[in-house]
Amino acid sequence: MHIPDAFIPIPQGIVYWIIALVFVVLALKWAKNEMNEEKLPLVAVLAAGIFALQSFNLPVSMGTSGHLVGGALAAIVLGSPFAAVFILTMVLIVQGVLFGDGGLTTMGANIINMGVIGGFVGFYTFKGLMGMTKNMPIAGFAAAWLACLIPSLACAVEMFIAGTFPLREGLIAMGLYHAIIGVIEGIVTVAAIYLITTVRPDLVDTGVKSAKGAGTS
Amino acid sequence: MMDNKTFIIAGIIVALLIGVVAVFLASGDPDGLESTALIVQGQKTLTGDTPPDAEIHEDLTGKFSYESPMPDYALGEEMGPLGGIIAIVVGTILAFLVVLGLAYGIKVAGKAT
Repeated sequence: MHIPDAFIPIPQGIVYWIIALVFVVLALKWAKNEMNEEKLPLVAVLAAGIFALQSFNLPVSMGTSGHLVGGALAAIVLGSPFAAVFILTMVLIVQGVLFGDGGLTTMGANIINMGVIGGFVGFYTFKGLMGMTKNMPIAGFAAAWLACLIPSLACAVEMFIAGTFPLREGLIAMGLYHAIIGVIEGIVTVAAIYLITTVRPDLVDTGVKSAKGAGTS
Repeated sequence: MMDNKTFIIAGIIVALLIGVVAVFLASGDPDGLESTALIVQGQKTLTGDTPPDAEIHEDLTGKFSYESPMPDYALGEEMGPLGGIIAIVVGTILAFLVVLGLAYGIKVAGKAT
């Protein structure tokens, strides 16, 4: 759901950039306060992994493909939605500048959708469900599925405001495709959380106290 | 438990493997956003296949345009899959280094103040 430059008029792109920058500044503050030298490798490896995963377009039928976003994964294993904003912003900069994947004037909107909305929806869904069910696979899957679906709906609304898509058509198509992509996102997210908690449980801070045994539940 | 160095190396190898496999196996179909654009432009139906000649018409009036050095994660037709692999490897390593460098810089700057 990387929005190209051609899909949003420049003035609207600037508005999204301003909103995004507020969250980017908060994410930099998170990095300054919460990240220690022990966590540094996980943050950097997650960035590399999320970049690679986003380049893998999987077929979702109906003449459409989709790739994972990774916002929920970053937010869950690092215990903060701002971790997702931090990592996704850097990944989006590399993608936009080097590979033309996502525009430059639209990068603010892409940061809001995948980093901010994806990170917050993913983190709080996980936190809430983890508290209720104490079951990592269920909480992780639902969090990642919603963190794929909700940003795509936000994207459809932005496309409507930009005059690129009609609202109803955009919401239906974006919602349908990303509901399917979200299933893959959910499975991979749960697998990645399990893998990371297995090899380095000390690095994982899901922000949920009862999730200590996240990898084994 | 894995030490930091092993964790980083293992993590990057997994990321590179995913990226390289993607060069060969990734679907060429448009992504969700592009697919929706094709529907809106009447070139495809919601659940139907994407015609091979479908192309998104971009109205660039009043929009910004930018030519990236490696568009579509490739280095041009003549380079083929090798160009794709180089692009993905460069991108993956760069994503790692940019985040590591920035995070490290923030910590150093934080300590200095």
